[in-house]
Amino acid sequence: MLKIENLHASVGGKAILKGINLEIGTGEVHAIMGPNGSGKSTLSNIIAGRDGYEVTQGSITYKGKDLLAMNPEERAWEGVFLAFQYPVEIPGVNNTYLLKAGVNAKRTHQELEELDAMDFLKIVKEKAKLVELDQSFLSRGVNEGFSGGEKKRNEIFQMAVLEPSLALLDETDSGLDIDALRIVANGVNHLRSEERSVVMVTHYQRLLDYIQPDVVHVLADGKILKTGDKSLALELEERGYDWVREEAAA
Amino acid sequence: MSASLQQVRETAWQAFEQQGLPTTRDEDWKYTDLSRISALLGEQWWQTVEQGELDVTAADIPELDAWRMVFINGHFDSETSELPAGITVTALSALIQDDPDRSVELLEFEPDAPLSSGMTAANSALAIDGACICVSDNTKLDKPLYIQYVSNGGTSHLRTGIQLGKHAEIEVIEHFVGHHAESGLTNHVTAIRLAAGASCTHYRLQLEAAKQCHAGRVEVNQLADSSYTLHAVELGGLLSRSDVINRLNASGASCHLNGLFVLASRQHADHHTRIEHNAPHCKSRENYRAVLDGRSHGVFNGKIVVAEGAVKTDSAQSNANLLLSSNAEIDTKPELEIYNDDVKCAHGVTVGQLDKNQLFYLTTRGISEEEAKQMLTFAFADEILAKMENKAVRRFIEKEAFSKLPNITDLEGMLA
Repeated sequence: MLKIENLHASVGGKAILKGINLEIGTGEVHAIMGPNGSGKSTLSNIIAGRDGYEVTQGSITYKGKDLLAMNPEERAWEGVFLAFQYPVEIPGVNNTYLLKAGVNAKRTHQELEELDAMDFLKIVKEKAKLVELDQSFLSRGVNEGFSGGEKKRNEIFQMAVLEPSLALLDETDSGLDIDALRIVANGVNHLRSEERSVVMVTHYQRLLDYIQPDVVHVLADGKILKTGDKSLALELEERGYDWVREEAAA
Repeated sequence: MSASLQQVRETAWQAFEQQGLPTTRDEDWKYTDLSRISALLGEQWWQTVEQGELDVTAADIPELDAWRMVFINGHFDSETSELPAGITVTALSALIQDDPDRSVELLEFEPDAPLSSGMTAANSALAIDGACICVSDNTKLDKPLYIQYVSNGGTSHLRTGIQLGKHAEIEVIEHFVGHHAESGLTNHVTAIRLAAGASCTHYRLQLEAAKQCHAGRVEVNQLADSSYTLHAVELGGLLSRSDVINRLNASGASCHLNGLFVLASRQHADHHTRIEHNAPHCKSRENYRAVLDGRSHGVFNGKIVVAEGAVKTDSAQSNANLLLSSNAEIDTKPELEIYNDDVKCAHGVTVGQLDKNQLFYLTTRGISEEEAKQMLTFAFADEILAKMENKAVRRFIEKEAFSKLPNITDLEGMLA
């Protein structure tokens, strides 16, 4: 699904990623953990195609194609989805309209017929139930006046509607209370499938109690320092990150 | 013509000859050079044109259920008009013939009024037509009154008067339109008087032809508990300047001034508004937005004057501007003059471009960058249009506004 090789990237001349190697197979769920400032968000932003990052070396191959050559909307059409750490409020742009435009742009790209309003509404209502999002949110401006938890649920709702092949969750768990975390995790688990890969970027092990990863990576100082199974997350929770750094330096 | 009407005309003409057109040396006219009008139309720019023939239905607002009053090149056209019975709606030209003394009331001229200029004087001296609307006490016009001012070039001076009795109610839609390639000038003055408890909703839609100039003046005087709502839209014309003077003269009066400019190429539009809080417990709300593309130039000057006795004034003003091109320009200036302490006055101005985070967010959902820009522009402008309660007018303006901006592909979807 996704293959990152020797990825180096900088922001404003400052090196942030210093040789990332990462391979994510189809249907796998990976967690990327690491301390603040380790480059976790930079990595998700580069995969989604945000401006302002300079890739100085290396490559990202997605479904056999050069991901870095695509603009953000092309990545979305090819099935990449980023759930934002800080979802943006867009007053005046209707939540449902945005999704309909997104779904139909993707379908057009795939040479499928556009969904009509009725079919689309049916899908939207069904997916809204999945994340326990009240119907009234559908006709509101994108994230306009949503609470922190509602914004994160809206991200997962959008993901459910857009049905990506590769879902990146950028600190989706931050700022969520236990109930909201359970709802969000339910939504993600529901979307797990053999065709879909998920990458969760997180500080805490807590999210991984709800969404069990196949693989856990430790990202620190711009590199993947260690890779293991879900027990690695528990070990990190207990011992912190320093021992991984020391081990890597040794 | 009665002596008094003639007097009014003569006084106005003298004032016009003295004042001429304002120059950019005058602070109130700093950004809008009306002397361009004589360069465009010649020394005798003020001379009015004949009525001529025009297909007026082509300019109609679709699905609008309203009474109609049509002016072709500044002349009332009874054939295409359909006036309501029960309230008095007459053409100024008819009033001048039948009851010249009464017409004086409408053309009443105060050379010293704020933001008055030689342009207003020319209007008082030369306006031969316009709409005269009187609604008696406790009367509500059953349907909106749609007034179409259609032109095919040349100059017209129009004067419209709206007088509402106590608790009277009316919705007036003034639509300035033309599809010609000639240059010309529409010089239009609207005087509105609202008695206690009266309510007036006023749409002023400037969609003149590409080379037309437009000078507008709206003067509103309100008594107790009356309410006035203005939806001012600037889409057309080459050079446009409007002055809105709204006086809240008795306790409990309120006004809402909503303005939207959508300008492209080398269009220029300027609104100077002046809200006078002259009595206690009055409320004013003002929201203006501009979307500027190409080399267009927008000007907004919003003055709020709160008099000494106008305690418990509640006033809020906001002006937001979106620049779609690096060659577009906005000059915006809020001005507050407050002469007592017991007031609530808020104001804010923003000037900016499309938000990069919002654009990125939309593109990650599969929206192309071009379409994302359109959606954000639409959302920005629609915040003003959403205040329009007349759905037919709102839909019409949405379509007209966004057909001006490049590549709006799915307007129908956005309107949902």
